[in-house]
Amino acid sequence: MLRREGALPAGLRLTASDRPGQAQPVPTRDIPKQPWGGIAFGVAVALVLGVSALEVNARRLDLHAGDLDNSEVEWVKERAHSESAPVAIVGDSRILFDTDLDRFEALTGVRPVQLAIHGTSALTLLDDVSQNPNFHGLLVVGLADTMFFQPFDGYGGYVRRRNDFKSPSGRIGIEIDHFLQRRLAFLDSNYRLSVIAHRLDKDYRPGVEGPLDDIWKIQEVGERRQTWMWDRIERPGPLQAHARWAWKGFKEKFPFTPQLIAKGQATAKAAVDRIRARGGDVVFVRPPSGPELRVNEEAQVPKAKGWDVLLRNTHSVGVHVDDLPASVQGLTLPEYSHLTRKCATVFTDAYVRRLTQLTPRLKLRADAPPPLGRADCVRAQTASL
Amino acid sequence: MIFNSLTFVVFFIIVMAIHHAPLFSWHQKKINLLLASYLFYAAWNPPFVILLWISTVVDWWAAQWMVRAKHERTRKLWMLTSVVVNLGMLGYFKYGGFLLSNFVELLAAAGVTYQPPKWDIVLPVGISFYTFATLSYTLDVYLRRAKPARHFLDYALFVTFFPHLVAGPIMRPTELVPQFEERPKVTAHQIYFGLGLMTLGLFQKVVLADGFLAPVVEKVYDAREGVPTMLDAWTATLAFSGQIFCDFAGYSSTAIGVALCLGFAMPDNFRFPYAAVGFSDFWRRWHITLSSWLRDYLYIPLGGNRHGPARTYTALMGTMLLGGLWHGAAWTFVAWGGLHGLYLAVERWLRSHFGGWKPGPGAIVALGLLTYLLVNITWVFFRAKTFKGAATMLQSMAGLADKPIPMIALLPMVYALAIIACIVGTHWAMRGKTLELAVERTPSWLVGTVLALMGLAVIAEQGKGSAFIYFQF
Repeated sequence: MLRREGALPAGLRLTASDRPGQAQPVPTRDIPKQPWGGIAFGVAVALVLGVSALEVNARRLDLHAGDLDNSEVEWVKERAHSESAPVAIVGDSRILFDTDLDRFEALTGVRPVQLAIHGTSALTLLDDVSQNPNFHGLLVVGLADTMFFQPFDGYGGYVRRRNDFKSPSGRIGIEIDHFLQRRLAFLDSNYRLSVIAHRLDKDYRPGVEGPLDDIWKIQEVGERRQTWMWDRIERPGPLQAHARWAWKGFKEKFPFTPQLIAKGQATAKAAVDRIRARGGDVVFVRPPSGPELRVNEEAQVPKAKGWDVLLRNTHSVGVHVDDLPASVQGLTLPEYSHLTRKCATVFTDAYVRRLTQLTPRLKLRADAPPPLGRADCVRAQTASL
Repeated sequence: MIFNSLTFVVFFIIVMAIHHAPLFSWHQKKINLLLASYLFYAAWNPPFVILLWISTVVDWWAAQWMVRAKHERTRKLWMLTSVVVNLGMLGYFKYGGFLLSNFVELLAAAGVTYQPPKWDIVLPVGISFYTFATLSYTLDVYLRRAKPARHFLDYALFVTFFPHLVAGPIMRPTELVPQFEERPKVTAHQIYFGLGLMTLGLFQKVVLADGFLAPVVEKVYDAREGVPTMLDAWTATLAFSGQIFCDFAGYSSTAIGVALCLGFAMPDNFRFPYAAVGFSDFWRRWHITLSSWLRDYLYIPLGGNRHGPARTYTALMGTMLLGGLWHGAAWTFVAWGGLHGLYLAVERWLRSHFGGWKPGPGAIVALGLLTYLLVNITWVFFRAKTFKGAATMLQSMAGLADKPIPMIALLPMVYALAIIACIVGTHWAMRGKTLELAVERTPSWLVGTVLALMGLAVIAEQGKGSAFIYFQF
């Protein structure tokens, strides 16, 4: 018969701390007298109603089921896919947002693997792919000049931790998470309870970089890391205004010394040479940025010292937004840094068509859809407002 | 696998369904639980299950041979075998790198340059916890406090039982093995209350610790540049006191709830520690299963209080220093333990000299707040990664920092301080009660409302399965 130690009358329970130097007995766990069945039913009903309310509210906020959030695990999976891929894309958030993978595939018959990471220099990722002996395809390097030559590696931890052990429970957890995210809109890391509560702070305390200074939700992420701008950032409003304000760092001065730029150029050349030595190739793409940011980017890393030298040094071809036809100039950049979802399709259409002329590794399909122009997204954008 | 993960939710539902299905005998159900526990552990890093097996088999046989031994020396030999194997594994995996780096520094101080190969050993999760659990088995048998388990299955399940496996409460064999010997009666009320405890534990971990307190702590303790103001340093340290409590007590509550749902009782691990008056009281309330383990298997064998004051103080300090090292292979943890040892020694001295003093209610509150304040000083060493970092924090907390800068935004600071005030206030309100008693005295509609709100907050917080702090130990 199991012997348990009874609870003390005053409501205190003995613990091991009260019984020094002896074998500890089977613990006692009292079940408080309550109508637990009724409580459980009430809690279950409240949770169902509460989750329904969260979901309704999320959809009212224009959050969508199927937005999978950016995740390191997904990047690692795509990195593994890139080993046998004919085309892969690396770069910062601009090429990540501004590339429509479906359009790329419709034009060329090839679906590229998306390896770009927000806030991260394309150089870090170019170097990573160059160290991968299994990659023999075409690498599209999308770059923002200042981000490319910056000395910080942003989310380079994705690359460094790529081979770290991933626990089976972690992998399964991501799959379950995605299963739910494909069905429920409220599962969004930007709309967690504590995040919302913290973002009520409007820089009330002088001198502190608070939650207002963070980059809030600007994108949605679909399958295979297809990323696009979130609807609410495309529309004028407080979230768009915040996103514009949050890019203030792009308007600040940073000492891009000639040495720093030269170092970046040398790293890029070495990486490109490594890829070409094993039969791969590299092309560069410079997506657009709004005049509000471009003026500072040009002042910090002039095109003549950055982009032009990069192509010359690496003997590469590239598509600079300035070189695209007038029909695709003036695309909409709601927060100055990334294109709207529809304009991203137009830009992809333009740069991929140009790439098919510049490299034999990409061919325009005979049944490729007709070219797109600014009117296909700017007009649609205006109409939707 | 961690409790605050979707993987665990699915795992728990499956385990509950199988465990309570009327399809299996009690023997088969125990095998199911054992397999589930191995799966739970392997889900983190499968090869490390081998360490669990080694520990299980060695201690089972050590206890068996100890009982059969005819000579005291043979008994001792088997006990030492168990201690060496268990502490050997713990030492290799947890302290190997630490010992090596200290050895290199020692040589460097002597003018010898030595470049050892890189120590790249992954720490098996929860090794400190299950090592202590299995050691208590052989030590209890050696000390004749307990008889060995009658069935290997019951013993293996005691070692591996997933609710306590990776972060406690550190179970003793006499607490758990008898519960496996016969089929427990599990009532619906027990399961509902167990689910309630799990909700409370996950709320503490996911919402309070990870959602509201950790960001405030990280903002200051992980700042890359600048020195915090006095306000920021104190807020971050107080927030850490709440974070580590909610993290670890949350784990313990969840573990107790999980076990309860399966029909088993696990002991309390926390008893409202921030209402402690004095440090001996604090250690009777904080991580009870560890502090009592250290007392029974380290402090008392070192002499305890039976051999005069000098030996007592030495045993006390030795126990706390090793207790600090148990938490992590770093000198900052040793300092944390040493500071607690010093507090305990001073308190002991004061009690021996002013034992007749009976504090009034006001003095008790004042002493309680002083205890909490001094505990917070120790948390600085626990949280800071280096002594330099700890010194910077202490300097800021003392208002002596040079050119300090504000680091925490106003609202996160207000939330953190409000949560800390609630935690400390709750601990004082509950210091003479059990949670069960308080729940029983609360109207059922309020119990339901609180549980629903906590459950909804956990879902709205969408915890992404960040590990519990104590997993690293």
